[in-house]
Parts: sequence; structure tokens; C-alpha cells
Amino acid sequence: MFRGTVSRAKRRVLIPAALAVTALVVAVVLVAGAGGGGAAGGVSYVGGSTSAVLYAAGHRHPVPDFTGTTLTGSRLSFAAYRGRVVVVNFWGSWCTPCRAEAPALAVLSAKYQPSGVRFLGVDVNDDPASAGAFARGFGIRYPSVSDPGYVITQDFSSAVPISGTPTTLVVDRSGRVAGAVFGSTTYSELNAILMRVTGKAA
Amino acid sequence: MTDVRAEEAAAGLDIVPSGAGSGGAGAGSDGAGSDGTGKSAPPSFGISGWLTWGWRQLTSMRTALVLLFLLALGSVPGSMLPQEGADPAGVQQYFTSHPALAPLLNHLGLFNVFAAPWFAAIYLLLFTSLVGCVVPRTFRLAGSARSLPPRAPRFLSRLPHSAGYSTALPPDEAIEAAAGVLARRGFRLRRAPAAETWVSAERGYLREAGNLLFHLALLGVLVSIALGGLFGYKADKLLVAGQTFADTRSALDEFHPGRLVGGGDLPPFTITLNQFAASYLESGPDRGQPSFFDARISYTASPGDPARSYDLEINRPLSVDSTKVYLIGHGYAPVFRVTDARGQVVYNAATPFIPGSTGNFLSEGVVKVPGAQPQQLGFLCVFVPTAVDVGGTLESVFPAAGNPAVSLIAYAGDLGMNSGVPQSVYQLDTAGMRRLTTGTELLQPGQTLRLPGGRGTIAFTGYRQWVSLQITHDPGQLPALACGIAALAGLLLSFMVRRRRVFVRARAGERGTTVQVGGLARTDASGGFEDEFASLANELAAAHHSTGPARQSETGE
Repeated sequence: MFRGTVSRAKRRVLIPAALAVTALVVAVVLVAGAGGGGAAGGVSYVGGSTSAVLYAAGHRHPVPDFTGTTLTGSRLSFAAYRGRVVVVNFWGSWCTPCRAEAPALAVLSAKYQPSGVRFLGVDVNDDPASAGAFARGFGIRYPSVSDPGYVITQDFSSAVPISGTPTTLVVDRSGRVAGAVFGSTTYSELNAILMRVTGKAA
Repeated sequence: MTDVRAEEAAAGLDIVPSGAGSGGAGAGSDGAGSDGTGKSAPPSFGISGWLTWGWRQLTSMRTALVLLFLLALGSVPGSMLPQEGADPAGVQQYFTSHPALAPLLNHLGLFNVFAAPWFAAIYLLLFTSLVGCVVPRTFRLAGSARSLPPRAPRFLSRLPHSAGYSTALPPDEAIEAAAGVLARRGFRLRRAPAAETWVSAERGYLREAGNLLFHLALLGVLVSIALGGLFGYKADKLLVAGQTFADTRSALDEFHPGRLVGGGDLPPFTITLNQFAASYLESGPDRGQPSFFDARISYTASPGDPARSYDLEINRPLSVDSTKVYLIGHGYAPVFRVTDARGQVVYNAATPFIPGSTGNFLSEGVVKVPGAQPQQLGFLCVFVPTAVDVGGTLESVFPAAGNPAVSLIAYAGDLGMNSGVPQSVYQLDTAGMRRLTTGTELLQPGQTLRLPGGRGTIAFTGYRQWVSLQITHDPGQLPALACGIAALAGLLLSFMVRRRRVFVRARAGERGTTVQVGGLARTDASGGFEDEFASLANELAAAHHSTGPARQSETGE
């Protein structure tokens, strides 16, 4: 009777304790699991960093058909680029990592011009005067559409989770996002992605 | 608590007084004092015993109260000191004004209290304590709300309220009649076994239901808060009049997502600030105090939707697609046009300035012109909405832009922007730069300053106003409110409803049947049961066509 009473009293405590501990463990696993998300299927990394990614054929999302005004004032429609590999770079003249990656973009755009790859900038949160000075200063010859309020950027969020500036997307010939660099890119990272997407490297 | 004691007494357990449990107390001692006392001595057996004891301590009401108090105490520095999340500029200012104290406070996490590990420890412990305390109680209450009243005691005259009379009815019929009266009054009945003639009745079970509701709602509040923390987010955006912004991660100045918020979870609205107006008191002792803010915006809920307009005011947020957009601040954004040594326009933009602490919207800001050739240009500026020259220095005498002016210091050299290291748009790193002007230069709208050495010009062409918006999404807010209301309702029920029991016994005697009625209010804090009992006793007597004198006593004996 003595033993029985104690174990019943204990059970009364232990069951809720066990429930609470289980709930806590589940919560911790959920929370920790959410932090490491993103490594879903169909994604491989370039150059050992998780900021430069390649999407496998079945995991590429289509890019929206957007139109905009370029820094020089002419209209530009993305539809004109269909059938080509396009590098879309989101940048701003105020953004220091954008300034760091600009020389690499200038070089790569010239290098891949003969293979039919086109580069296109989306200039966010900027004024045309500062943006023009940026393009002149870094010798950027490809066009940029002006996106002062991030409206075009928002359009792209259905295709790829753009979380900051700069972001560089590589769009394949069927108009889908095949690769991306989140944050400042380098010559070697973007070159590696372009080799793969243009089919010059297996 | 009471029923635990009763159970132990019934089981023949010795309850060891606190302090005596060192050597010979034995395993039984930890049975005492589950919630409430918390004084049980540590048991002298192994790990599981220690764990049980620890869990009991953690889930005791006293520990929960202590933790709640600590939580309140811990959030005090959060409201007294500037916080990283809400007021980063204030933190910086604190560091400069208290150079000795600030690093120490920072080490203790007092500038970011709500993210500090010790604060998290308090609320996680509190959460565990509450859940561990409330869940078993909920089960117990649910049992109690379903239970039948106890058997009628033998001597009803010993109860706090009792009455007796005689009736001509035989005992079993008298009990039947009494049961009928009690059932009509809404009592829950317990009938005697076949050979006995009594009935027990109890009402006020709503008290238990209220208690249960309170506990469940308390759990609901905790779950709602967790929901908000996991799936909610808070973001800040500074928006200059005339500009648009689309709600997307890279457009937001600050973004604090919950643990389970993904990048694609933001509702795709856009907001355009058409006009912002602030008015201030023109006279009286509170001259310069704001009297009215009005941000006229137009917004689209999602791409392709028609634009709608809205007047955003303080405490009048915009609700769009499950988020709320609050107007939380405003300021001035002077417009500058900069040309470089080659005559190219290399900057032409409204530049948000941050109001300083001196009041009247004397605002500080920085203009960075990284595209200027041959050298980059930078300007440290002050914007004064209503400028008055007081002995050679500019002062702002009114927050509205009555006589706007800008004073600036020009620099040329390397802004440090090309290395890729992020920098604040409100700070100028002059380490690689040379000062171009000896004093500060004053500009009024429309005026242009020629930089020395033919390095270019800067023109102050006008000003715009900006607002800062806070975008919040808290999916736990509404459930938390509903649960809070339910908890209050449950608490009121459990305070206002009394649980009371009435017992009726009938015995056959020489002069007909003797009926005894006894009453007991289990929780009669507010009184009032004696009136109810008296009227009930009279009604029972009437139903029994009582023959003898109705005798009534207030207390047993």
C-alpha cells in the first residue's frame, strides 16, 4: 500500500513532466530545423559557399515578364531576352557590396557577350544620376532598369527568395532561374555558374 | 491541494514535517506539498527522485510567481535603457555619454534585454513552470466538474445550516418529493442506495467550469504567444514622400522574422506616400509640440489590384493582408544635387536625415557621392527646419519648415565604399578623406555651393518629408485576446459562483416522518447562502405539507 501510493503520486508528476519535456524537445527541433532550411532538393552549391547555388532542371522557377524604364530613359521588356541565357543583377549605387562586385560583372558581361549571354541590371532604391555615375565609373555597358520602390524585385520573389541587395540571378534559355548568388558575387563564382548554364562545362 | 492531503491521510501516510526529512524520513516525504507549500525536503534517493523533486519545485505556484516577478523585473531595464532593436541611435548615444558604464551594461545584455540569454532563461522556465502546473490542474478540474455530490452525512444538524420538521409522508415519498424540489432548483442529485432514505444535492458546478476555462485559456494565451513568436514578424521601412515601396525582404530597412517565417511569406503589397503633413502647436507653453500627423498613402494589396487611398495616423494603422502598418515616426529629407569636377550630375536625390535629440527637428545626415570624379565626395550636414542665427550657430526654433536651411562640411577622398564592407547611410567615414571647407557652409533652398579647387558643386534644391513605418504580423494577437477574455470570464465565474450542497434525510418515527435538511457552502466568501438555504428549507417543508414546527438553526449544535 505504501509503495503503491508513492508510485501513483510519482506517476502523477512524471506523466505531465514527460509530456512537457517531449513538447519542449519537439519545439526545439522545429525551431532548430527551421534555421537550417533551404537545402532542399535540386540545389547544389558552387565554390564551397552556400551563397552561390545552381538549381537542377526540375527545380527552376520561371522569371516574371517585366517591363521597365532604363537609366537612359528607354523602355525595356524582359520578353526581348527570351531564348537567351540572361544574368539579372539587382544593385544600387549606395550598396557597398555592389560596388565590390561591379568590376567582375563588367568583365564577365564582355566575356560572355559573344556566346549570346546578356546581362541586365535592376537598379533598386536609387536615383538615375547616382546610378549613371556608377555605371560610368565601373565601365558597365549593359542596361539597367530603374526599380526605385523594389516593385520589380517583388515580382521576382515568386521565382527566387531575394533577401537583400545585391543578388544575381542566372536565367536559362527557357526563362527559368538556373543559378543565383545571394550577396556580393565574385568572378569565379559567377563564371562557374555561367559555364554550367551555357553548357560549356559538364 | 486539499484532495491530495485527503488522499494521503486516507492511505495512512505519515506526512513528515518539513526539516525532518534528512535521514529517516524515507521515500514517503516527497508526497507532501505538491503545489503551494513547496517546502518538501529533497528526497534521499537517486536521480529519478531528484528529478521528481526538481519538477515539483519548478511547477509549484510559488516558483511561477517568483519567475513572473523576475520577468517583470527583467523588463524594467528594457524600458529605461535604449534598446538595439527599437532605438539603435539611442544606444550609440548612451555609449558616448556613459563610456565607462555602457560596455558593462552591454556585456549584461541590457541594451537588448528581450534577446538576452538570461531573459530567455526566465521566460522558458516560466513557460515550463506554467505548463507543468496548469496541465495536471486542468485534468483535476475536469474530473471535479463531472463529479457527483458526496453521500449525505449521518447527522445533518451538525452542518453549518440545518433545519428539521415532521411530515405525514412516508420517508421514501418524502425523499422523492425533496429530490423533485431540488432538481427543479437546478441541483445535481445523488440518490441513496435502495435501503436508505436520503438525497444529496449540489450546485455551483459552473465554478469548476469557470476554473477550468481559466486554466485552459491560460494555456491558450501561452500557445498564442508562441504562435506569434514563430510565425510573426516585425519590419521597419523609411519612406520619403512621393516614393513607393513594395513589401519584399530587400526593401525593408529592418526585418525581424519569427523562427518559422520564410522569405516568400511577406504579403505582396505596395505603399506610396503621396503626402505627409504634421502640424504643431503655434503658441502657449507647449509651443512646438505636435498636434496632428497625417500620412496620405495609396496602396495596392497585391500586384494588379486597384490602388486604394488611406490616411495613416498615429494609432490608426493600415490593415492589409493580415499585416498592420503603423506610422511610427517622421522627419525631413533635404534634396541635394551634386556635380563633380567634370560637370556631370552625379547625385540628385532626397536624402533622409535623422532628427537629433535637441528638439525642433534639427536633423543630421550624410550625403555620399561615390560616383564623383576624380575623387569621391562626402558631406556632413545639418538640416534646420526653422533656422535662427544665435551668435553664429544655427538653431531650430520650430519643428515645421518655416525657414529651412542646411549647414554642411565637405570632404573629398575615399568614402571606403568600394571594399564591399557594409556601412551606415547615416555615417561618413572620413578616415580616407580630406576636409575641403574650413568652416561650415550655410545653404538655403535653391542655393549652390561651389567646392574649392573646382571639385564640383552641391545645390540644396528643396526638401521632402519622410515617414517611418512599422509593419507587423502577429498571428497570435487575436487568439491571445480571445483567450485573455476567456480567462477573465472564467476567473469571474469561479469567483462569483458558490458551490453549495444540500442534504435531506428522512427517518420514520412515532409521530410520522422526521425530515432533516442540512446545507453547506463550500466556498462562501461573499455570504448569501443562508438566505438561499432558508427559502429552500421552507419550500421543502411546503412540499412535504409539514405538520411539525419548522426548526431552523444557523450553526450545527
